[in-house]
Amino acid sequence: MTDAKGIIFAYSASPDLGDLVKQRTAASLPFAGRYRMIDFSLSSMMNAGIYDVGVIMQRDYQSLLDHLGSGKAWDMDRKSHGLRILPPFGLPEFHHGNYSGTIEALSAVITYIEESRQNYVVLMLGSLCANVDLTAALKQHIASGVEITAICTEKNISSQHYKYVCGEDGLISEIRYSGDAEGLTAMECYIVNKKFLVDMVRNAMVMNQFRFHKEALDGFFKKGGKMGVYMHEGYVSFIRTIDEYYNANKDLLKPENRRTLFPKDRPVKTKNNEITSTLYGEGADCRNSLIADNCWINGSVENSIIFPGVTVSAGAKIKNSILMRACSVEEGVELNCVIADKNVQFSEDVTLVGSDRLPIVVPKGTVI
Amino acid sequence: MKKKCIAMLLAGGQGSRLYALTQQVAKPSVPFGGKYRIIDFPLSNCANSGIDTVGVLTQYKPMKLNSYIGNGQPWDLDTSTGGAYILPPYLGAGEKGSWFRGTANAIYQNINFIDEYDPENVLILSGDHIYKMDYADMLKEHLEKDAACTIAVLQVSMEEATRFGIMNLGENGYVCEFEEKPKQPKSDLASMGIYIFNWEKLRRYLIDDENDPNSSNDFGKNIIPAMLNAGEKLWPYRFKGYWRDVGTITSLWDANMDLLTPETLSLYDSSWPISSRNDTVPPHYVGENAEIIYSIVTEGCDIDGRIENSVLSSAVTVEKGANVLYSVLMPGVTVKAGATVQYAIVGENTVISENAVVGNPPDGSENWGVATCGPEICIKEGARIPAGAMVYTGEEEF
Repeated sequence: MTDAKGIIFAYSASPDLGDLVKQRTAASLPFAGRYRMIDFSLSSMMNAGIYDVGVIMQRDYQSLLDHLGSGKAWDMDRKSHGLRILPPFGLPEFHHGNYSGTIEALSAVITYIEESRQNYVVLMLGSLCANVDLTAALKQHIASGVEITAICTEKNISSQHYKYVCGEDGLISEIRYSGDAEGLTAMECYIVNKKFLVDMVRNAMVMNQFRFHKEALDGFFKKGGKMGVYMHEGYVSFIRTIDEYYNANKDLLKPENRRTLFPKDRPVKTKNNEITSTLYGEGADCRNSLIADNCWINGSVENSIIFPGVTVSAGAKIKNSILMRACSVEEGVELNCVIADKNVQFSEDVTLVGSDRLPIVVPKGTVI
Repeated sequence: MKKKCIAMLLAGGQGSRLYALTQQVAKPSVPFGGKYRIIDFPLSNCANSGIDTVGVLTQYKPMKLNSYIGNGQPWDLDTSTGGAYILPPYLGAGEKGSWFRGTANAIYQNINFIDEYDPENVLILSGDHIYKMDYADMLKEHLEKDAACTIAVLQVSMEEATRFGIMNLGENGYVCEFEEKPKQPKSDLASMGIYIFNWEKLRRYLIDDENDPNSSNDFGKNIIPAMLNAGEKLWPYRFKGYWRDVGTITSLWDANMDLLTPETLSLYDSSWPISSRNDTVPPHYVGENAEIIYSIVTEGCDIDGRIENSVLSSAVTVEKGANVLYSVLMPGVTVKAGATVQYAIVGENTVISENAVVGNPPDGSENWGVATCGPEICIKEGARIPAGAMVYTGEEEF
């Protein structure tokens, strides 16, 4: 049995995702034609034999709870020590706004972590889009003897991300708070010795330091602490803005990205409720698109991502767009650079054109 | 716990007429219609009809079927008082080994299983039919008519009637005579091989039948006639709707093609879902060179060729310049660049190499038929598989 517990952070508010997170968290955002963002962290854990996983959530978590269910899709529906939902707990010392940072979120569940049977904890963001080989990362972490290992990528993600400076000893001794700085990009995914994590959280809380990177880790490095590094190979993106969401979906039209995000030996699991395949009609004309099950396609679809249950009528033209579950596109509709949330209905001959830099988001259930 | 009705599903069929497809698996586990296997239809019908206990009788090559059915979870049959149970033939102390000798013997051998649930009625199903049917409605009629046995019947043409077991009805509407494949049919009501029996009565007839050394231990040949002779009430339940026996290559191909016109058999109807066990794989990818019309495509596929009038199961790859026309491709099939598959059924994980041609369009000749490639084989580069051929040993023959 893997000697690690998983903690997934699914509480962040992500205001830059706009209408897409109006009724959900970034972790439950539909992605890549059939998944939710959190499937990637859950599946990374599952594929490393980590079934004892706590998901920290704080608000707008109804869609997330619906998606997680008992955790069956990830084999986490265990008699004991399986998936554990960690909503806010009504202790007066936690104010009722958002958690001020990762440390505060962890401190809210610190007993749960402390009482776990395992010696290691894997920390991951529920909105991270990467299939991380945690088996290999854990093995390296345990062998290295360090207290904490950061999972990093060579890929530059955005200027908002942290970078780590790695010394000649192969260990990280400095954090930089700009994605434009030199260094390895942090995926905000860590493997930590449990005791070290518990002490770190308790000590930081005493000093009112709620933030993991800017306060707790910074203090650790200043005291001469060193952190291990595990390099993640393969696709990675963060979903914090509409732009990032749009581009990450479109990244998956490239075979190389699909290959590393969905490797055969580390499958990404999700709540599976599609009962039937997609039917193409005589008017179908599809190119360079990802199309989920249970759709009915009778129009033209190009460079797009189509979720289950979408119908595209004859003569409709869809380009560079993302259509979530059960959208319906009637005859003569033209869409370009549109992100349509679930159950959007485009009536006959509607034309909606966004731009590559600024896709139009159509909120859930809209009838146009 | 006493049950009103449990189901016994006969899934031991070898499917010898599907030979290339059933060398390694039993007929009920042959893939069908993109996401399904044949057995998904009776299992889903049970779940949708509120029957939560299903005994699945297996014998021929059961391994794949066993792991496919598991605890019945995909069909919501994994309830605390019900479930899907695999029932292989077994031996009592000192008995000689034997397979089920007939459909009735298969149930006889599992009397203990059925008694465990103490059901009022037992529904007998076979695992090789494609149809959607509400068994609860049939049970209702069975109880209303106070029948010892209710037999689902389908109206067929008089010509077809010669190929079926035919029910002749008396004036009161009950069955008065059963004729197996009559040369001169007196009625057009064909038995669908779906029965609901009063368990107390069936139990007695099964024991009597087992004690008759001349019996072939078959429901149609022995049990039903015995009940008629004894004057039991047998009621015909008239089924209207789509029903296909998919025991031959042609009928299996036809039934797959029927799915391309959802008016014939809609699987998009959420009030009567047909469920299946599937791996979670990404949506299918349609490449720059793909042309797909009038076809069914399932998740996990990677399509860069031309697909017309075909049914593709999950994780099928069709490379650039390949053509798939009027064909059924089962899970994991690869069609390489420049190859053509037409009027064919291709088994799981088989590879059709570059520029090979499998099958031919109908040419009007009597010998024409759908070509079949078995599972897990490789059709070599440039090979020609003629219409009606059945290939299962791999490339060395061609």
